[in-house]
Amino acid sequence: MKKKLLSAILCSAMAAGMLTGCGGGADDGGAAQTPAAEPAAEEEAPAEDAAAEEAPAAAEGEEVTLTVLAGQSTTDAGIEDMIDAALAEKYPNITLEWECTGWDGEFHPKMQQYMQSGLPDIIIGKAQDVNTYASQGLLGEIDATYLDRGLDAARENVTFDGKTYGLVYNALYQGVYYNKAMFAENGWSVPTTQEELQAIVDDCNAKGIVPFASHMVDTWSIGNVTMQFMMNDVFNNTPDWGDKFRAGEVTFADDKAAQTAYSYNKLIFDNTYPETFSTEQTDCDARMVLGEAAMKVSGSWSIQNFLDIDENFDFGIFPFPNQTGDSKLIFEPNIAIMTSAETAHQDAVNCVLDVLSGDKELAVEILDFTKTASMLKDVVPTFPNPSQADIDEYASKGMIVDVTLGNNQLVWGGFQEENAADIAAYLQGDISFEECLAASDARVGSSSAQ
Amino acid sequence: MNKKKTMQDKMNFQYFLLIIPGMVIFTIGVILPLLLAFRYSITSWDGMSVEKEFVGISNYINLWKDANFRQAWWFTIKFTIANTIVQNVFALLFAVALDSGIKAQKIYRTILFIPCLVSAVIVGFVWLKLYSNVLPELNEIFGTNINFLLFGDGKTVLSGLVIANNWQWIGYWMLIYLAGLQSVPSDLYEAAKVDGANAVQRFFSVTIPMLAPAITICVVGITTGSLKVYDLLVSSTGGGPGRASTSVIQMIYSTAISGRQYGYGSAMSVTLVFILLLVAMVQVKGLKSKEVQS
Repeated sequence: MKKKLLSAILCSAMAAGMLTGCGGGADDGGAAQTPAAEPAAEEEAPAEDAAAEEAPAAAEGEEVTLTVLAGQSTTDAGIEDMIDAALAEKYPNITLEWECTGWDGEFHPKMQQYMQSGLPDIIIGKAQDVNTYASQGLLGEIDATYLDRGLDAARENVTFDGKTYGLVYNALYQGVYYNKAMFAENGWSVPTTQEELQAIVDDCNAKGIVPFASHMVDTWSIGNVTMQFMMNDVFNNTPDWGDKFRAGEVTFADDKAAQTAYSYNKLIFDNTYPETFSTEQTDCDARMVLGEAAMKVSGSWSIQNFLDIDENFDFGIFPFPNQTGDSKLIFEPNIAIMTSAETAHQDAVNCVLDVLSGDKELAVEILDFTKTASMLKDVVPTFPNPSQADIDEYASKGMIVDVTLGNNQLVWGGFQEENAADIAAYLQGDISFEECLAASDARVGSSSAQ
Repeated sequence: MNKKKTMQDKMNFQYFLLIIPGMVIFTIGVILPLLLAFRYSITSWDGMSVEKEFVGISNYINLWKDANFRQAWWFTIKFTIANTIVQNVFALLFAVALDSGIKAQKIYRTILFIPCLVSAVIVGFVWLKLYSNVLPELNEIFGTNINFLLFGDGKTVLSGLVIANNWQWIGYWMLIYLAGLQSVPSDLYEAAKVDGANAVQRFFSVTIPMLAPAITICVVGITTGSLKVYDLLVSSTGGGPGRASTSVIQMIYSTAISGRQYGYGSAMSVTLVFILLLVAMVQVKGLKSKEVQS
């Protein structure tokens, strides 16, 4: 009898434990969100100064906690603390609950997870994500008050069906970083054609200098440089190449320009360290700074490493030369702030947008930390960027192109990323160049986010 | 008779009550996701849109034509076979060595066991750095020319991963073998000695048969664990170079999540589950029969 009683109690306890465990979580979650949401939306705070007069209604409302999913580049980790501090100063009633992930790895899986359970109030990703998620009706339109504080050039690629769903905060530049001292010592000038680049490569090899630093252990770096090549050799001449690819008008197997873009990877592979498939980005950047290589096809994310290793490292940037000698420097809107279409805290979200777009001190702090360019009006980073003179020169000549054009047509996840793995397999000799091209063609169904 | 049957019924009812919590958790955590995965596997769902278009078994047919999927399976099978052999052999040898009464047994046991307490993600990072930076320095110091860049070449990446994985897990399986060895009655060895059996004969005729249950656990555990390898790869090779070390799980993840082909990825995962079940069943059945014989 005692045993029966014991077993019955045990069962009841386990069942009760399970039920309370499940139910409790849901209740807590609800309690944490719902009450905060409504008063925040209802209350309107008086303005203190001119800036605060334009501040959203939740400025001095009740405590609000906003959830933020941040898909970050390697350079971005840490900016959340800066944003928290600036927000606490202006809107102390608003707290951000951050979930920071790597953009390249976990961001999109997280987004898909949240699409089932409800998106975070604020999503920080890249400009190309706007196209992916706005087309699903998931993102909220950004108010013109905040968009107007950004550069007009930033809007085009975060606008979907005439509405702007992203606030672009900063930008990266991509191209070939070069060691200025090494170029000067060897009498090399910045190449604009493939022939000129080949001459430098040949001279490097003759002198025992490694022409290119690279880190192909990171498949993303192969994908990234391939899109740089595609921009100048393919999209430069055919801006809607991706759409034509899906329409069956062009293929990788037939298009010489696309094949040329892919084949540049072989040029890099044949003229880099033999251990590139074992070299990580930090080591690669260090070798570049230490003068072990003349050039590196990369982006602004390398600047942080360059200057951390040697703050006096003198480097410049030029676009990877294309077949027609009219390459443009690649520009990539990086941090793009998006909001959930169904946030229950729109006023509080606007407060955050107000801080992000209006606090110039914060903007400079973030730009100096990430070593990136500003996409906000009248905000100029103060970090020393030896490549800035080159960037300014290309900008003044109109030789800059936004890579979002290519990224929106040929998406990263499922297409560029997978193609990069095939290119790596080709470089490793596992598959032929034709098989590599055929694999990209076979992936046409995954090339678009829509 | 009636009373006896009633008692049995009551006992059965109590057993049923006791397994309800486990059943509920198992159903919610395993059975339902499995059923959902099967449901998605017959659609072309991208994981985001509302529509889940029914495509029948076309995803399963496409799997057979998918060279990347076949390559992922080939890598996973090679990785599994290598791990199952190396880990079992070395774990057993270490266990026998530690059971032989050597000095400082506890220190050795601890040293061998510690790596399995480390996350596989960390293990991946550690071995990536070892192969790329630390070990090549030895070549500089000793003037040798050993190729330590195992992760950087499709031909050596499997060896590099097997070394890293075994470094982590041998200590864990060794403990299971050690527990098995310590439960073997010493009079069996004495009887074998009296019968004139030497050390090798005693090992194969007494130790191995008596360790049959432990061998079952280790073989099945290592096999299924290796078939599911993911975290080690993510932080070390990322599935590369190229696709040389892409495992099935990794491919499922990149297809379903990054590639937004949830239906196709689900078909891959359903296939994996069936193969895992099949392998485990065959192994358990085969190894259990050995236990009966022993």
